[in-house]
Amino acid sequence: MGTNTRSYKAEKVIERMGQKLNRQMVTSLAGCVHCGMCIETCHYVLANPGDPTYAPVYKADQIRKIFKRHYDWTGRVFPWWVKSKSVHTDEELEELKDIVFGKCTNCRRCSINCPMGVDYATFNRMARGLLVSVGIMPEGVAVVSKDQWEIGNQMGVLKEEYLDTLDWMQEELQSEFDDPNIKIPIDKKDCDVVYSINPREVKYDPRTIADAAKIFHFAGENWTMPSEGWDMTNFGLFSGDDELGGAVARRLYEKVEELGGKTLVISECGHGYRSTRCEGPNWGAYDVPFEMESSVITMLRYIKEGRIKVDKSRNTTPVTFHDSCNNARSCGLYEEPRELLELVCSDFREMYPNRAENYCCTGGGGAMSMSEYTNRRLKSAKIKADQLKETGASIVVTSCHNCVDGLTDLIRHYKLGMQVTQLVNLVSNALVVEERIAVPVEVVPEAEELEFAGRKILVADDEPDFITFISAILEDNGAEVIKAYDGNQALELARIEKPDLITLDISMPGKSGVEVFDDIKKDKALNKIPICIITGKPELRKLIYEHPDSHPEGYMDKPITEDGLIRNLRKIFEVGHQEKVSVEK
Amino acid sequence: MSDLLYFSEHTLQEVALIFMAVVYSLRIRWLFKFKGGRERQAPTGGIDSTTRKGIMYSWAAIAMPWTMESTRKKAFFYAQFVVFHIGVVAAIVLSFLIPYAPSILQSSAIVIIFQISIGLACIVGCGRIVRRITSKYVRAISSPDDYFSLILLTVWFGFAFFAVPNNYQQGEGILLTYFMLTAFFLMYVPFSKISHYLYYPFSRYWFGKSMGYRGVYPLSRSTSQRGAEYGN
Repeated sequence: MGTNTRSYKAEKVIERMGQKLNRQMVTSLAGCVHCGMCIETCHYVLANPGDPTYAPVYKADQIRKIFKRHYDWTGRVFPWWVKSKSVHTDEELEELKDIVFGKCTNCRRCSINCPMGVDYATFNRMARGLLVSVGIMPEGVAVVSKDQWEIGNQMGVLKEEYLDTLDWMQEELQSEFDDPNIKIPIDKKDCDVVYSINPREVKYDPRTIADAAKIFHFAGENWTMPSEGWDMTNFGLFSGDDELGGAVARRLYEKVEELGGKTLVISECGHGYRSTRCEGPNWGAYDVPFEMESSVITMLRYIKEGRIKVDKSRNTTPVTFHDSCNNARSCGLYEEPRELLELVCSDFREMYPNRAENYCCTGGGGAMSMSEYTNRRLKSAKIKADQLKETGASIVVTSCHNCVDGLTDLIRHYKLGMQVTQLVNLVSNALVVEERIAVPVEVVPEAEELEFAGRKILVADDEPDFITFISAILEDNGAEVIKAYDGNQALELARIEKPDLITLDISMPGKSGVEVFDDIKKDKALNKIPICIITGKPELRKLIYEHPDSHPEGYMDKPITEDGLIRNLRKIFEVGHQEKVSVEK
Repeated sequence: MSDLLYFSEHTLQEVALIFMAVVYSLRIRWLFKFKGGRERQAPTGGIDSTTRKGIMYSWAAIAMPWTMESTRKKAFFYAQFVVFHIGVVAAIVLSFLIPYAPSILQSSAIVIIFQISIGLACIVGCGRIVRRITSKYVRAISSPDDYFSLILLTVWFGFAFFAVPNNYQQGEGILLTYFMLTAFFLMYVPFSKISHYLYYPFSRYWFGKSMGYRGVYPLSRSTSQRGAEYGN
């Protein structure tokens, strides 16, 4: 096929590859000898024995062949001899997308095991960026990137929501210690520490913010959190989009400069730490004038300097530590977390292999946002599951929010019965507070007073974070929650549990939400159960609403709010109740 | 010694070497036409890790099989690699000894050392050919150049093995073939995967520089290893 028949996107990918290449990448692309030493270092290969398409060298060759065909003389003159090949169609780019996004988490484990120093992860990221630049990417990558460009953080957390959460956590702390002086300062000028977080903490895990605030307070730190530019995560690392990476990093750096902060402390997040601390200044062409450090190092320093006291006997459950790829293999952050764990836990058990040789949590590289590859991801997670199981620990600690999600998902999938937590939670729990005030007992309303008391609600969604979020709201309101992580499980649990209501995602592995909806509505034993569709893909709404016989009782677009969820479900129950009464009459 | 053998041992080799040097120079010029990266971040990692240490560690990693899981867990494969590359060095040195210092090869001990080195490399080469054909993984990544380069080297080892005693009086066929193959090898390598040794110092330099600056190199791992590593 000649150049003139090449698609516009393919043409752009080839052209932009030339602009992205640097010397390090070129030696990685040209220097591979196809020795195969990298093959068994990859968790995808180990979990898919006999399938050579998962081998790092095979995956790398799919990018390498384009490079050779267009930028290396041997590939240009003798393409068949060195297996160089161009791309011509959008379908070929889609195939490449499947490899660079769906078969590699950019964990860099193969890179440190290559005798030639071929850094596959680096040029895999480049290939991702090339595809993103022509609009070819998994849908989740597009959605998250859009949120980070437009709203300023990758989970679309609005400023009010963020500030409300900080306010809420401040109130919790003041209540816990009966001390109105405990503050989470916002936009305080000239502080020693500016603390940046992952939006996941606001959305799904605010206790980590409270725990960090508690540590800063009792360490006597002069600290603050920015009202804007607070997101230290950076989807540019995963999407390969350097412009996004640079813009996000600059937003944070500029805010710290504006506040006159001396040190930017980055909460526990592997890719956030790498993006902010290491890659951001390069992407954003920004010479950062202040210090940056991981909160792991900050907490360790507080203990060493005697600014906080910890009692390891408060954390007696056996724990193991999972090294985030970005922390350990790209930033050298692997001894400090262990040192800290030894100080705050009484039973730490090493995982093997560890540090820079550790296996990926399988949720890295943005994999958690690419639901089309969920089955593949979970299959490859077998390696990590075996590694976790071997430790005999009950809790796995990690300094990365992405790993928290990846590990939680695989622990559930492989039924390991372990919990995942972070160092900040353990340090907070071990923190010795002088003359600790008795914690006031929270008055829990009687079950009858709660909104959904006595209701059994089945929540079906393939995003573990979302299930955690929605379950917490429903349980706080008295409901008994049953969780299903895919369509088949949802249907099975609906038949067994006969819930009072089902919240149903549309796009799920196994049976889709549409199929589950159809099956439930066709089943005489189940078709009276009200269903509320909750989806992040509003364009799929018509699949449900064009249903010939019945429609769902409720519908909500993601992201949802607590109030919105309660209001919608209350309405569904009210309508159901009225219908029941009128039928009885 | 015939004129043809003399030509093969001297003029042909010199032309081939000059050709290889010119192509390599062009190759390096090509490489440096690409932009170099600038590191703006402050260093990360422990104080034991520096850019300089990272580079040195990276260059030396190939001689420290315990540092990489891929070589640590495949000791036999690593040993083959060592034998193969010693054989390459020996066969190249031989191509200089025969024309320029033939007296050295009058020592039977030297001849035996060279023959053992090259002979073992030839055996490893045969094993590598079999692996490249029979391993599903390696077959999937192999190009015609991969097969040809390996076969070329293995055959070259075979002729080098018999050329070591330098007995042209007993027939020039072996020596002629060895030197012709050497000349072809020198001219072919810049275009083939065998040129990896040209890239090696650069790729490992940049990788080590980055990993040293970021505190990853020298690698640190827990030494109380047990059997959970896959492939053990």
